[in-house]
Amino acid sequence: MDTLSHLASGFAAALSPAYFTYAFAGCVLGTLIGVLPGLGPAAGTAILIPLTFKLDATGAIIMLAAIYYGAMYGGTITSVLINVPGEAASVITCLDGHQMAKQGRAGTALGIAAIGSFIGGTVATIALALIAPPLARFALKFGPPEFFALMLLGLCLVSGLAGRSLAAAVLMTVLGLLVSMIGIDPVRGAPRFAFGVADLYDGLGIVPVVMGLFGVAEILITAEQPLREVVRSKFGSLLPSRDEWARAWGAIWRGTGIGFGLGLVPGIGAIVPTFVAYVAEKRLSKTPERFGRGAIEGVAAPETANNAYANAAMVPFLTLGIPSSPTIAVLMGAFIVNGLTPGPFLFQERPDLVWAVIASFFVGNAILLVLNLPLVGLWAKILHVPFKYLAVGVLLFCLLGAYSLQQSVFDVWVMIASGVFGYAMRKLDLPLAPLVLGLILGPPIEKSLRTSLEMSGGDYGIFFTRPLCLALLIVSAVVLVGAALRLAPKQLREA
Amino acid sequence: MSSQSASHRVVERAVLACLCAVFAAATGIAYTYSLKDDLGPGAGFFPFWLGLIGAVLSLVLLARSWRGRTIGDGAEARWPDRPGALRAVALLGSLVASALLLAPVGFRLTAFVVTAALLVALGVRRPVVIVAFALAASFGLFHVFYYWLKVPLPIGPFGV
Repeated sequence: MDTLSHLASGFAAALSPAYFTYAFAGCVLGTLIGVLPGLGPAAGTAILIPLTFKLDATGAIIMLAAIYYGAMYGGTITSVLINVPGEAASVITCLDGHQMAKQGRAGTALGIAAIGSFIGGTVATIALALIAPPLARFALKFGPPEFFALMLLGLCLVSGLAGRSLAAAVLMTVLGLLVSMIGIDPVRGAPRFAFGVADLYDGLGIVPVVMGLFGVAEILITAEQPLREVVRSKFGSLLPSRDEWARAWGAIWRGTGIGFGLGLVPGIGAIVPTFVAYVAEKRLSKTPERFGRGAIEGVAAPETANNAYANAAMVPFLTLGIPSSPTIAVLMGAFIVNGLTPGPFLFQERPDLVWAVIASFFVGNAILLVLNLPLVGLWAKILHVPFKYLAVGVLLFCLLGAYSLQQSVFDVWVMIASGVFGYAMRKLDLPLAPLVLGLILGPPIEKSLRTSLEMSGGDYGIFFTRPLCLALLIVSAVVLVGAALRLAPKQLREA
Repeated sequence: MSSQSASHRVVERAVLACLCAVFAAATGIAYTYSLKDDLGPGAGFFPFWLGLIGAVLSLVLLARSWRGRTIGDGAEARWPDRPGALRAVALLGSLVASALLLAPVGFRLTAFVVTAALLVALGVRRPVVIVAFALAASFGLFHVFYYWLKVPLPIGPFGV
């Protein structure tokens, strides 16, 4: 009952003209970002943060969240029409979506993606509204050792699942943690790694770093490559035929379950649920040979899983303060900029904000459906924007975003340096998600570790005598050992 | 081994060596902060261990690279051809120029000059298009952010 009344007040806020406008604008901008080549959800959300400076915290978060899931959908359009995923989670959609476009069924592919995304996103948000409050209440019982173990688990999951090289992923996590140490020591107040530079006392800003790592690096990589041709086939009907409906219906519900379930696991990333959903459909199909040749289930399942994941990933973020992906890490940066700390206390301190944001997910999913079905043709036209104009626009938004957060040219330099670093890491295939997560979780994980050790007088036994803490540490160890064992045979073969 | 692959290895090893040096330096610097004090772990405790772990992992990956194995996700990176590299360098150069000009010249002039230069570098040849786009990107964006969104942006000489 409590949840329903909170949700009702959340809807009242989310449907107010101002917040509805922010959600609408966020969905439009997010879809635009997803459509434009060279900009993923993380970069897009980061560079559009300045647009929210004038808004109150609730409005800012509603708009940025809408940009996030709008971009998740927008990536589908490029996957279908030009066989280039707008973001990583849309990679698998290329296989059947682009084939459907070649067969003159682009409209149906984009239509089923929009419908599946709506169903997946809405069901996941209902589950989020049901799960989040009890989980947040449970997390309120956590002490510093449990929070340390929980954040460690988040880092282990990201490292263990981020890529095919565990050592490289752990290295990037450690680098992110170390970079987060720059600035004032959160426990004793002494400066560290500042070298007398006043700009470093506050540490490196998350937003300029993320803008550089994702925005600048992505645009540099896109600049190197020639753009692909847009398929100019007939769009065909937006709505699937009766036969296609029958095939897609089950795929949508299975995609929802897979996306939501995997979205609850911090660090799993958006790409895994889409692949799992696709593989599951192919295995369940009586005609698996149709996959890769324009099977509608091959679009419906991963696209649904993608949006269900995007909403489910908000559960560990809002209740435990653990961002599951770089884009949610950017959202976390926006929370921090607005003086908010995601986690269990947020449900107690700002229930108005939390529930308005959750309600806005429902509103945003409906907006995306209404917006995308009739406007698919318009989005397709945007794909024709020449890269040279797009690059200039992105560059100026990066400049604005990095500077205007603190009116600091130093932040612009941080963004440029992060961009060059991100470019190099992309070229070396080193994962950036663990670095960003390490950067964000560094200060709280250090604080909880040191507070725990202060509580115990320096005795590490505190982590092994509290049952929940011990359980979380065991799971962390299992994740790392599991990842090492999973990777070891492959690496031995390569050796 | 192709020349692309060989140069990729060189870059890989150089990056890992740099990372190793950074981690080693961080370990050394963290050691100069207190690792332990009366209340428990000191300011240097966490960064010291992070630096040490990072340095060891960098060395492990460096050794792996010397043994001919990829350190990342396995996919060999494609390095750009000359035109692609020039486009990327033009973009990066524009950002560096922006950072240098922003405070002394202000946002509008910086954005105008950098936009125009970048469009020329990316192959736009029509002066009308260049000027129109640069004006919209500089003065237009300034108007939106400064006046509508109340975002403070640097103003250059003569209030421009």
